[in-house]
Amino acid sequence: MKLSATENRWKSLRMPAIALALIAVILYLGAQKNFGPVQYAQFIADGLRGGAIYAMIAMGFVIVYNVTGVINFAQGAFVMLGAMLAVTFHEMEMPFSPALRLIVSVILSIAATTLIGVLVERLTIHPARFSSPLTLIIITVGVFITIQGLALLVWGPDAHIFPSFTTLEMADKVFRVNGVVIKAQGFWIWGITAIVLIWLAFFFEKTLLGKAMRACAVNQRAARLVGIRFDRMSLLAFAMASALGAISGIIIAPLLRPSFDIGLNLGLKGFVAAIIGGLVNPVGAVLGGLMLGLLENISAGVTKAGMRDIYAYSLLILTLLFRPQGLLGAKKTAVETGGESRA
Amino acid sequence: MNKNRLFVTFCGVVLVALLLAACQPAATEAPTAAPTEAPTEAPTEAPTAAPTEAPVGETYKIGFAPAITGPGASLGDPEHQTGKMLAEKLMTEGVVGPDGVMHPVEIIIYDTETNPDAAVSVVRKMIEEDKVQVVVAGTTSGVSMAIVPIATEAGVAYISMASAGAIVNDPETGAVREWVFKTAQDNYASAKWQADYITAMGWTSVCHIYQNSGYGNDTFKQATTAFGEAGITIAYSAAFESAATEFPALAEVGTSGCQAVVVGAIPPASSTVSVAIREQYPDIPIIHGHGTCNQDHIDLMGSDVAEGMVSPCGKVMVADTLPDDDPQKEIVTQYAADYTAFTGKPVNTFGGHGWDALMLAVNALATLPDGQDLATQRAGVRDAIENGVTGWPGISGVYNLSAEDHFSLDYLSLVFVKVVDGKWVYYPQEEWAK
Repeated sequence: MKLSATENRWKSLRMPAIALALIAVILYLGAQKNFGPVQYAQFIADGLRGGAIYAMIAMGFVIVYNVTGVINFAQGAFVMLGAMLAVTFHEMEMPFSPALRLIVSVILSIAATTLIGVLVERLTIHPARFSSPLTLIIITVGVFITIQGLALLVWGPDAHIFPSFTTLEMADKVFRVNGVVIKAQGFWIWGITAIVLIWLAFFFEKTLLGKAMRACAVNQRAARLVGIRFDRMSLLAFAMASALGAISGIIIAPLLRPSFDIGLNLGLKGFVAAIIGGLVNPVGAVLGGLMLGLLENISAGVTKAGMRDIYAYSLLILTLLFRPQGLLGAKKTAVETGGESRA
Repeated sequence: MNKNRLFVTFCGVVLVALLLAACQPAATEAPTAAPTEAPTEAPTEAPTAAPTEAPVGETYKIGFAPAITGPGASLGDPEHQTGKMLAEKLMTEGVVGPDGVMHPVEIIIYDTETNPDAAVSVVRKMIEEDKVQVVVAGTTSGVSMAIVPIATEAGVAYISMASAGAIVNDPETGAVREWVFKTAQDNYASAKWQADYITAMGWTSVCHIYQNSGYGNDTFKQATTAFGEAGITIAYSAAFESAATEFPALAEVGTSGCQAVVVGAIPPASSTVSVAIREQYPDIPIIHGHGTCNQDHIDLMGSDVAEGMVSPCGKVMVADTLPDDDPQKEIVTQYAADYTAFTGKPVNTFGGHGWDALMLAVNALATLPDGQDLATQRAGVRDAIENGVTGWPGISGVYNLSAEDHFSLDYLSLVFVKVVDGKWVYYPQEEWAK
């Protein structure tokens, strides 16, 4: 249907108008509470830090979804495994300096989590690869519950400690800029997220392997016809997703006190970020993650702080209702194409 | 082919699930093994163990179900350890009844999984199949509330290790529940101490930051009541998510101008939020509730951050710095030493709630004459707990149970403590103003 000129103009103005209205509401509510620039700067700094973590987890969702059409709810388990394995390796006796010990435990943790990711793909997704996406998604939920259950048996219910990267101790270095508090770990999180994003962009745009993976995403059957081995790509996607999960678990570990049950909340927030970003685009996932982090912190800050998670999940529902293709998605919704390409 | 594969995978998943399910009872292997051993071993061993050569009667059974897994596991684990610690001793030494007959006491351990449904089914099992004389179960208040009707219906004395007042008193009528007792102070007791401290320090306006959980919400509710009675204003209150790494709730702590922050949370959330408060507000005093009485709380935030933080706690946390004339000094010192020797971990108050509950049960079993039927024994245990406990020093306080009061510990059974050099130290009222 062709839209008239005024309707067209309204369409193009809608998003900025909503954004402006939102900012006005936030500023109004903030003014009621005597919030000044310091408070907003604090919300933004915290929001971007949490958002970067969500972004990293979301990229894991996107990579697996792109190649296999599966929403991998076990992603949260990889995040938990990354953190808990890093803690475990770090607690072991090693004849290294503290810095080297941290680096070694991080590398071992990423390697071990990736191995677990590969095993998960081979043992659960691969044997069921001809089933409907829904079956596969339910399998990933089962995998999540299984891994979390095993983690409870292995590590018990206690919370553990992982040192911050800057001080190599539990207490992190804190920068105070005009009353705004920024943790040194935040810079590590932003830096590592940026490096991973750049590497992924390079991998998908410039390398043959990355292009082969993208080909699987565009059209699985055609990709097979030109000789791309789909099952290898699926395996690679899970390996990359679990490695990304592990990295995000490790870089957030110093901020929380990792325990066996941190995977669910982080995994779901990553999923929300991936949906906001359109589920098919790593750049969208990063934008989605940062936006989620910012919005949940600011809106919770200016209203009731206990409603932080409610805002995050409301954002998921609003996105699915009004912009199912996500921020950067094409016109066709992610979920629709997923269904079609597999049919 | 496909279908087959899917079926195989499905079977695999089911197998893993079954394995997982099988692993949980493995933690509670003791009960299944014990009954077969009991009749054969007890008669041969008892005469040598008991110098008086008391005749050996039937084995009494205590059904014991803390939260070994699930969200309450960090509190349930010390209770579980305490139960295991007592189980060995009670099986061989037993209790000697008023008629001189010795009865071995078996503690049958189950897991409530911090889940009311699971708790109800294990309590039914211990009452109907194991035929226990008394039930000690429930680490958290929600689970305990679910057990109340089961025990009441069956006519079995039930001792909860959780804190809510509604466990022993019907919240609507205020009537005492006939069969139910408890051993943990509620959040109102904690809030009373906090109010006393805040008043003594001359503060009139505080912020209350609490975890978005049953415990956290209750700390806020009780603080509203207790602080209101003491004339303290809660200038700002907010909840935060247990797993949060960002705390937007803290922005208003600064703008509301409160003089101290009261935190209602349990570790690890109590530790992460304390770190965040310290980073944003280096000088504001922080007051915790008695849910933090656990060395983990200090260890998970670092002793530098924890230094100077205060909270009401059970006496067992400061056993060695307690004044010598305290009626519980001896028992809490002994328990703290036993617990650390048995588990290799520092003691905490939750294990103490477990010890009190189990020992109330054991002492009541010791009043039963030999040769009664089960229903009479169960009623006898209830009567003995209700009428026979006067001035009894436990770990959580000195108990004076009666038909009107099935808990009996007031807020003064807690003590105020302060973190000094990464350890809990007794912090008596005389030192507050300094």
